Amino acid sequence: MPPLIQMQNVGKTYQTGEVKVEALAGIDLEIQKNEYVAIMGPSGSGKSTLMNILGCLDMPSTGRYFLGNEDIRDLSDNQLSEIRSRKIGFVFQAFNLLPRVSALQNIALPLLYLGFSPKVREGMAAEALEHVGLGDRKQHKPNELSGGQRQRVAIARALVTRPDLILADEPTGNLDSKTGEEIMALIRDLHTQGNTVIMVTHESYIAAHAARIIRLKDGKIESDLYSNAR
Amino acid sequence: MSFSENIRLAFQSLRANPLRSILILVGMAVGIAAVLHVVVLGELTQKKINDRLQKMGSNVLRIRPGFSWRHGMRTGEKRVNLTWEDSDEIVSQSEAIIQTVPIYSGSGDVSFQDKNWSTQITGVTPAYQNVNNDYPAQGRFFNMQELSERARVAIVGATVYEKLFENKLALGKTIFIKSKPFLIIGILEAKGESWSNPDDQVFVPITTAQERIFGVDHLSSILAQMRSETDYDEALFDIESILRRNHRLSKEAKNDFRVRRQDFFLATIQATNQELARFITVIALVSLLVGGIGIANVMLISVTERIREIGIRRAIGARKFHILFQFLTESMMLGFFGGILGVGGGIVFNHFYIDAGGILPWSWIYYSFGICAGIGIFAGIYPAFRAANMNVIDALRHE
Repeated sequence: MPPLIQMQNVGKTYQTGEVKVEALAGIDLEIQKNEYVAIMGPSGSGKSTLMNILGCLDMPSTGRYFLGNEDIRDLSDNQLSEIRSRKIGFVFQAFNLLPRVSALQNIALPLLYLGFSPKVREGMAAEALEHVGLGDRKQHKPNELSGGQRQRVAIARALVTRPDLILADEPTGNLDSKTGEEIMALIRDLHTQGNTVIMVTHESYIAAHAARIIRLKDGKIESDLYSNAR
Repeated sequence: MSFSENIRLAFQSLRANPLRSILILVGMAVGIAAVLHVVVLGELTQKKINDRLQKMGSNVLRIRPGFSWRHGMRTGEKRVNLTWEDSDEIVSQSEAIIQTVPIYSGSGDVSFQDKNWSTQITGVTPAYQNVNNDYPAQGRFFNMQELSERARVAIVGATVYEKLFENKLALGKTIFIKSKPFLIIGILEAKGESWSNPDDQVFVPITTAQERIFGVDHLSSILAQMRSETDYDEALFDIESILRRNHRLSKEAKNDFRVRRQDFFLATIQATNQELARFITVIALVSLLVGGIGIANVMLISVTERIREIGIRRAIGARKFHILFQFLTESMMLGFFGGILGVGGGIVFNHFYIDAGGILPWSWIYYSFGICAGIGIFAGIYPAFRAANMNVIDALRHE
């Protein structure tokens, strides 16, 4: 079985005015299905860029990135959008929920763009909300929820399409440590249930939840270690 | 994602900023209401003009005395140079003219019992009714015998009828025209005002007018009916040569008469109206344009305010056209609801004209919605395009 993710010498260069910034300088990486990976590194190490490319939000400048069997380079903007909705679930540090719509509608949003009927969407969204333990918060808007609850809604939104890959970008960055632990427990459960999780963090104790820790420095992989903690 | 869901989504966002949405709707509505106003006015005047044209016939020429000139200036002095002979010879010598009506017209008081009215007293021949398509609504016109007898019979116009008789029985009654008794034998149909009021007139045999009322032997004008409209050049040539000969004008002398198509003044009114309509149309279009710019402006603001939302939607799988449609639908809805408001306004305007026969054509109500939605879409193109093509990562990071 091919790896879920395969990166070959991926590089990314940004041009800001006169200055060229090399955010990634040749990343080779393979991630198998059902892995739990943490990506760490100081700011400016390229972990956000790597995350964006992994999430098909950005294209590598050089090298190749295969997600499943597909070479990202060959895909159109529409196909990339479809991959994002079908294969990838995003969990952001800032939650990124739509402020004016209910928890349920927020969760149903990816399904909307996949063309499911309203009824099906609602059913699937309710199930996902149930899954993250907020079954009684369907009609609440984000500003009526606590930080931890918002992140749970965001995780439910990431789950609702049953994606191949969950990408979490500093998922506990905006939460207090207790709530953060709860969220990490939830993510761990997702992994246990068979999801592939890739998480960006700069906190070692958060990264310690993962089975594999990749450290980046100056756009390169500095270390790639499997932890024995679990 | 279906169209109806798009609409629901658009509603949601428009509701988030109700005041702004409503203000922009009003801008649009004013524009479309103005357009509809122009349409109603245009239809109304065109209808009036058509009615008049149909009645009048466009193959009638009116010959009047020329202006008096002194030291190169026009004077108010009336020339008295048109005669019965002129009228008779024109019809007998020109093949292009099939009928003429000699006219003498002057103002005077008419009275019935205690009511008095100052009006136009017009002497004509029985041919007048055929030439002008102007037949009595009640009673009859006078005949040739009454003409030759200089009979004291009168046919009153609708205004005179109303003023003197308050629309009560008038046939067979005697009125006094310049203190002389006349028998009313006919009442004319109301024709409505144009420049002058053709209903404010009393018709009598011209012989009576000349000899018994005004004591003159010249004419104030001659109506000449052409064989057909296309004979205008020939008719004009004939009239000029006959009158110049009769009036013994030397080769260098200017015409001492004027010839004008009877429908000329209608054409003038029509031209003026069209000019006015064009002017109002321009104003209406400008207000529509302003409405459109308003929508574009609001959509641009809306896109800027919702960069983050756009980023989120794109990140979780919205395609560019999803975003494009989302914003286009919003701007279309703004236009469309502006249209509804504007059509409402247009219908209210129309109400003021209903007595005058104003009708707001249904087709224009449909057009209005189309125009408004179209403007909305057009105004939304650029903002929506900008939203759809936003860099997803930058949009997600936007605070």
